[in-house]
Amino acid sequence: MAADSHGMTVTTSAPRRFGHLLPLALFVLALASGLNGPVTAQETLFASTKPLAPRDAFELSVELQPDGGRVLSWEIAEGYYLYRDHLAVETIEGDVVPLETAPGIAKHDPTFGSVEVYYHRAEATFSQAPGAVRVTYQGCQENGICYPPVTDTLPAVAPASADTEPAASSPATSPGSGPGKVTATDGLADNATSRVQLAKDEGLVSDLMDRGGSALVLLGFFGFGLLLAFTPCVLPMIPILGGLLAGQGATLTARRGFALSGTYVVAMSSALALLGVAAALSGRNLQIALQSPWAIGGVAILFAALAMSMFGVFELRLPNAWNTRLSRTGTGRRGTFGGAAILGFTSALIMGPCVTAPLAGALLYIAQTGDTALGAAALFSLGLGEGVPLLLLGIFGARALPRAGRWMQTVNRIFGFIFLGMAVWLASRVVPAAAGLALWAGAMALLGVFLGGFDQLEATASPIARLRKAAGVSALFVATLLGFGAATGGNDPLRPLAGFRAASSAVPPEKEIAFSTIRSLTELDAALAKTEQPTLIYFTAEWCVSCRVIERRVWPDPGVETALVGMQLLAADLTEFDADGQALLDRLGSVGPPTMIFLDAEGREAPGTRLIGEPDPSAVVASARAVQ
Amino acid sequence: MSNIRRRTLLAGGVLTAAAGTGLLSLLRAPAFAKEITVEEVLFDPANPVLGNPEGDVTIVEFFDYQCPYCKANHPVLTETVEADGNIRLVMKDWPIFGAPSVRASQLALGAATLGRYEAANSALMETDGKLDETRIHEALKDVGFDVAALDRAYRDERSRWDGLMGRNSDQATMLGLRGTPAFIIGTTIYPGAMDAAALRDAVELARA
Repeated sequence: MAADSHGMTVTTSAPRRFGHLLPLALFVLALASGLNGPVTAQETLFASTKPLAPRDAFELSVELQPDGGRVLSWEIAEGYYLYRDHLAVETIEGDVVPLETAPGIAKHDPTFGSVEVYYHRAEATFSQAPGAVRVTYQGCQENGICYPPVTDTLPAVAPASADTEPAASSPATSPGSGPGKVTATDGLADNATSRVQLAKDEGLVSDLMDRGGSALVLLGFFGFGLLLAFTPCVLPMIPILGGLLAGQGATLTARRGFALSGTYVVAMSSALALLGVAAALSGRNLQIALQSPWAIGGVAILFAALAMSMFGVFELRLPNAWNTRLSRTGTGRRGTFGGAAILGFTSALIMGPCVTAPLAGALLYIAQTGDTALGAAALFSLGLGEGVPLLLLGIFGARALPRAGRWMQTVNRIFGFIFLGMAVWLASRVVPAAAGLALWAGAMALLGVFLGGFDQLEATASPIARLRKAAGVSALFVATLLGFGAATGGNDPLRPLAGFRAASSAVPPEKEIAFSTIRSLTELDAALAKTEQPTLIYFTAEWCVSCRVIERRVWPDPGVETALVGMQLLAADLTEFDADGQALLDRLGSVGPPTMIFLDAEGREAPGTRLIGEPDPSAVVASARAVQ
Repeated sequence: MSNIRRRTLLAGGVLTAAAGTGLLSLLRAPAFAKEITVEEVLFDPANPVLGNPEGDVTIVEFFDYQCPYCKANHPVLTETVEADGNIRLVMKDWPIFGAPSVRASQLALGAATLGRYEAANSALMETDGKLDETRIHEALKDVGFDVAALDRAYRDERSRWDGLMGRNSDQATMLGLRGTPAFIIGTTIYPGAMDAAALRDAVELARA
């Protein structure tokens, strides 16, 4: 679709997220110009066969360099050429931007003397330019016609509000050429480049900023937060906060519940804002940078300690001496607020680092504009939105939770196991798979024991006690299987004995979408170089919870499977995050997993196809179709 | 979920942009609003006419003095016109190669004011390679022109000649011409260079 005769990928790659609206935009445009009358009327005045439209003959694409410079490249149709002397870049104010170009082929034309021209491909580089720039180029069809200069406006790299509108509406004039006129109605898509050419995204923040200023940005991000509140990125926070509240016991009131959950939410939002600041300072996604064994191990231990505290093994409080000094309101309270803050902070940064469209939008906005304040504020707002259900939980949960007695103990133990489960889940990211299985075995054994799997039942035991015992025995049985699996080289907690089966039987593996894993730019380039197919690059990682959802819901979808036939599928695995991983993220303009990038056969990303966060299968199908 | 939201937002953005663009086009519309007719394209009264002014077929060429294929094609064109004897040749200046092209057109049209258009046009079409001020002047001096006089002549009728070039450019845009050379023979557009046979066929077709 993108490669049809009309070369502008934006205008033709129809059914993308917002790509499908572009035809509409163009239709409106056509309608408006239809009112001009002559343009369409005169087409039929004279019969004609035409050479290619200049933008089809010379397809401009732009690649952003890490240093803020840009590489312009033109794919030149067979039998057409561009003049080296007629490549020019100027700012909107008309200042010439110095351009580096390679020597062209000397074309000795008896009537045109010696001029340097480019066949097939031309490239020009310029360093950072303030604001939007106009690129002008001119060429001819061999032995046919020579085109008037073509001018395309490229949006500012740092999209300040006024310059971000695409060039569609501004007529491009040919500087210094008198009355020559070219209208750049299809100058929308000057993106994409060599090897990997990324589509330009207007950006969520700039988009909101343009239409409603920073207030709309904050409001919008609060709204995104609300929408994200029930995704797997945020859901784990509910039991965490629940456990925190349950641990309060008798001291828990609705007011205190609100204050605690408020602390938690503010800390979580601050962590997100800090993400923005850290991204601005280091150019890295802190969430990903924090996926180190030390950070994860530390948090796993924190959760294990919380679990033990919930079991009543010990009171997780600051020493009494500190408390009496620090707290006027009562023992342990300060400590609990501190705990809420720590939990909120670590939840956002380490528990489920989720890259969602708004998060990516804000981080990219900061990266592009350096406007840390607005970016961080937007992220804070996002956190507050995500925290709304947690605040409600704080207020209403406080009433529902038992304050004392046997029930409180039970509730505390339930949350204790939730914390333990999180501790094991975190730890299993950083220990060998078999060790992870062993940890799960231990946790299940503990659960079995707590449920009373080993307790003797009286003959008169109630049905509930018997059910409990049955559950406990089951848990112990699962623990045994897991332990056995761990000892025999299993690695999947859900299929602990898979090692056995693989060895003993030849059951054909389930039909699955097969990704090739890449971990560095070199591997990416190699993979792209050896294929003629369109490519899907899927950023994933073991620790990416949204990626698990994608693996369960998106890849097995029959529609998706069909749509991805004939595509090269690359999984950029960031589980072990290092400089190579960062380089991949930088090159592909992503802030982390899950992100799906769709490249056509020429390695150009089709505009509007990128999927960040958890997409619907239909969105994946649409994006895949756009590059095939 | 976020995708849907984002889609909605972007939809709004695109619609806003589209509406803005539409409005802009409407505001600009008057510049293009005048209808053009075959008459205006073939018989612009300001444009010098070569060949046989009473000819029964008109060949219009949109050209630039630096366009290699215009120049390479020019001898073939003039020979064909001459051999036929019944063709009006209308060379429409459409300078697309920057300032030197504009300058060459201005001086050639200045020569038209002085009644010597054909000599100036041929001299400039016979130049080699890229043009600059010096080369243009040399080419014109070589065939006996006084450049200063040509410049004065152009300036004396500046509104006429600038108006003509502006109309040429508008017509090229409205006709959807991709570039130079572009021929209109009869009522058919022929983009790109044409050899003698193609020219003769086109003329015949126009007469039929």
